[in-house]
Amino acid sequence: MRVRSRLGHAAYGGFVVLVYAFLLTPLVIVVVASFNSGNYLTFPPEGFSIRWYAKFFDSDAFMGSLFYSLQLAALCTLFATVLGTGIALYTVRFAGRLREQIRLLVLLPLLLPEILTAIALLFFYYNIEDVFDWAGTSVGFRNSFWGLLIGHVLVTLPFVFLSISAALHNFDRSLEEAARSLGADRYVTFRRITLPIIKPGIISGALLAFIISFDLFNISLLLKGIGTATLPIQLFDYVRWDFDPTAAAVSTVSILVTVAVLVIVQRLVGLQSLRF
Amino acid sequence: MSTATRPARAGAWLLAAPALGLLTAFLVLPYLNMVVMSFRTPSTSNVFAPGFTIANYVDVLGDEDLYYLKILWETLSLGFVTTLICLVLGFPLAYHLARSRSRWSALLYAFVLSPLLVGVVVRCYGWIIILANNEGLINSSLRQLGWIETYIPLMYNWVGVTIGLVHIFLPFMILPITAAIQSIDPRLEEAARSLGASRLTAIRRTVLPLAVPGIQAGSILVFVLTISSYVIPVLLGGFNVVLMPTLVVQQLLDAMLWPFGAALAFVLAIAGTVVVWLYLVLTNRLIRGVTG
Amino acid sequence: MTRVAIERLTKRFDDTLAVDALDLEIGDHEFVSLLGPSGCGKTTTLRCIAGFEEPTSGRIAFDGVDVVDRFPEERNIGMVFQNYALFPHMTVRENLAFGLEMRGVASAEIERRTRRALEVVQLGDFGHRYPRQLSGGQQQRVALARAIVIEPAILLLDEPLANLDAKLREEMRFFIRGLQQEVGITTVYVTHDQGEAMVMSDRIVVMFEGVADQIGPPQEIYNRPATRRVASFIGQSNFVAAEVVAREDPDHVRLTTPLGPMRARFSGETPPGAKFDLVLRPEAVAVTDDAGGDNTFRGRLEERYFLGNQLACRLRTEDGELMSLVAPPWLAAEVGAELVGHFAADRTWLVAR
Repeated sequence: MRVRSRLGHAAYGGFVVLVYAFLLTPLVIVVVASFNSGNYLTFPPEGFSIRWYAKFFDSDAFMGSLFYSLQLAALCTLFATVLGTGIALYTVRFAGRLREQIRLLVLLPLLLPEILTAIALLFFYYNIEDVFDWAGTSVGFRNSFWGLLIGHVLVTLPFVFLSISAALHNFDRSLEEAARSLGADRYVTFRRITLPIIKPGIISGALLAFIISFDLFNISLLLKGIGTATLPIQLFDYVRWDFDPTAAAVSTVSILVTVAVLVIVQRLVGLQSLRF
Repeated sequence: MSTATRPARAGAWLLAAPALGLLTAFLVLPYLNMVVMSFRTPSTSNVFAPGFTIANYVDVLGDEDLYYLKILWETLSLGFVTTLICLVLGFPLAYHLARSRSRWSALLYAFVLSPLLVGVVVRCYGWIIILANNEGLINSSLRQLGWIETYIPLMYNWVGVTIGLVHIFLPFMILPITAAIQSIDPRLEEAARSLGASRLTAIRRTVLPLAVPGIQAGSILVFVLTISSYVIPVLLGGFNVVLMPTLVVQQLLDAMLWPFGAALAFVLAIAGTVVVWLYLVLTNRLIRGVTG
Repeated sequence: MTRVAIERLTKRFDDTLAVDALDLEIGDHEFVSLLGPSGCGKTTTLRCIAGFEEPTSGRIAFDGVDVVDRFPEERNIGMVFQNYALFPHMTVRENLAFGLEMRGVASAEIERRTRRALEVVQLGDFGHRYPRQLSGGQQQRVALARAIVIEPAILLLDEPLANLDAKLREEMRFFIRGLQQEVGITTVYVTHDQGEAMVMSDRIVVMFEGVADQIGPPQEIYNRPATRRVASFIGQSNFVAAEVVAREDPDHVRLTTPLGPMRARFSGETPPGAKFDLVLRPEAVAVTDDAGGDNTFRGRLEERYFLGNQLACRLRTEDGELMSLVAPPWLAAEVGAELVGHFAADRTWLVAR
């Protein structure tokens, strides 16, 4: 019995390790491949080189898309966090009978496939342009930065909402009552007690929004302007036809951006307190 | 409610207004508009023509080769297969993660979460490096070892696409199941074992039935994500694997037949919803049988 | 300090009546406990006084001024919560300073008063620490200091000792009571622990299901319970069905009971035909040799537990009931022995049945 269970235990352990490895291997390989001095993606790599990074930084297309993605992600984070904080506060504290319906509405972009939302927005931007034209003005959401931004905010909003709602739910109301009993009014209590304590929830939501926006594909594919591209789109176009390790360098930079944001947040807030 | 919060409710509406306004204007309305779009007449010179028709749906469902229905079926099947594989791979891992108590558990969480924080394109590219037919890692290593002559086709086919899908959506199966198992008292397993059950039996009889809500959540998530996936089939399947989302995007960006694309999208959405609903009905019957 | 007047306070939650027309007057410097089982309305009452619940009807006044329309932050209260509610993102000193900041006290004065408050609760060196670095007992003292440092009109405590272990609880009872008497602040204290209420209070309000069955000093609650509920809840009681035969004098009555004729102490109303229970505390009943005396009864020893400094016994009496009593530890009788019990008339009371 003991022997059989030990064997079973080993098999289980081995299986689990394999699955973890399965999850991580592609990422590791991409990073390793980016330093390959050879022309092709051979393994083991022929030598160490950063020429593919040089090619990346030299490429106007890639650098342009990198900055475009960063800009987009930064603004998306800003809007999603502001809107998300407001709606989270409202749903947890003030909503009455409609609370569940409102929650559902806010989570809809998460429940609906991203590609459907992208398509819906594509059609919508086209159609309302007609409406505005007919009214005598011309407003362009189609193929514009703002149209794309709206799509990003929609898709990241649920994550910010979930994160802040969780923090608010876990928040001990008696802390607010204690502050009130000590003489603080509603606004001071919110500013000095509630806000600082739910700050980790707000920051993890914002962090998630940034990372998700930076990596979004489907929305960006359908809504982007002609001549502009986000980094994922640029990489996608490149990788469809060309396999050289420049793509690995771009991918690694993309991973680094994510890691950098995580590190910054760790410094500010401490990752242990993040709750997804 | 105390005197303290009542007067606040009036002004509180301002907190919700921006987000709700955005969602109504740019989510609810566009989806309704999309429904309308699917009934518009397609056009060759513009994205759509004036007038409405149900011809789009008729074309999708009634095509003489059943081409679109075939693609739909293949898309849904791929969804099933991917979900099943994710479940088999994911449950043991979720159990391990949920019961892990050491310092390493935070690191293990990071392992599971990290693929999610990296874009889908990057992850696909990683698989391209590994699976590519001529120069891919697997094939060139096997060739170097002398085990094969040319190559094993791992990319631009169903195998490659499935591997990619499983890899990218596996965390979505693992996380809900982990959460579910964490809320199950470990003492239930201990009680089962004290009564004579083996480790495996204890898990099968005490953890598995109670983890069903997590399994449901994970399965639905993976299934829906799989059938609506665009990037992975395109990058890893090329022209050989055509799924519904691929078709839809083609209609929108290449053929510019927006109404038809909309109809395709809706057929997929409705089919997916029906499958999910059936799944929930069947598995809920399972739960009720177990937990009463 | 402050007098508190509560008139016909009623609080309804949906279909539950949490507090039912409570009347209570609390005097200056007084320590009043709200005592009762969970769900009796004591915490709701406290929260109405604090302003975190709005009464359905009734009046609450501090020194004659109605406060029902005032927000909690306008009532000048000091409150200690069951889970302490210390601000986790502030140090101990900052926690104490908070209430003073709200009152616009100058920072030099804040410094002085928080330092003194910390010394009073014997946490002088802990000012720079965070709540999570303190033990449960220390956190409790910080919560107390925070409520007192602002010198509020009244002090409200919601089961503050519930989360402490038994020994610490006992120490803190005396500590809180001592502090309260020294500062002289009007205090309302909520607890379900009758020992706590008895030790600390000037008066106790015993509540069940939203109603105050009795309000009075601990001795009165214990020796002259107003209802059977109060007699059961406070200490241990034996109840013997009794009917009043005659009134002997303003303080004593004669009864018939299933155990025989008895004499009891009772100064309340005894309308003809009214049914009563004779309340006998176990410590009031003794084993005796004299079978013929006043207020004696027979019983068979059924249970006997050795408690160290006494024996807890239960006798099966002639009416088929079990009578609890305490006996000296050297009592020789074994289980099954026939014994005679006896009690003094002056150590009894009657409650309505």
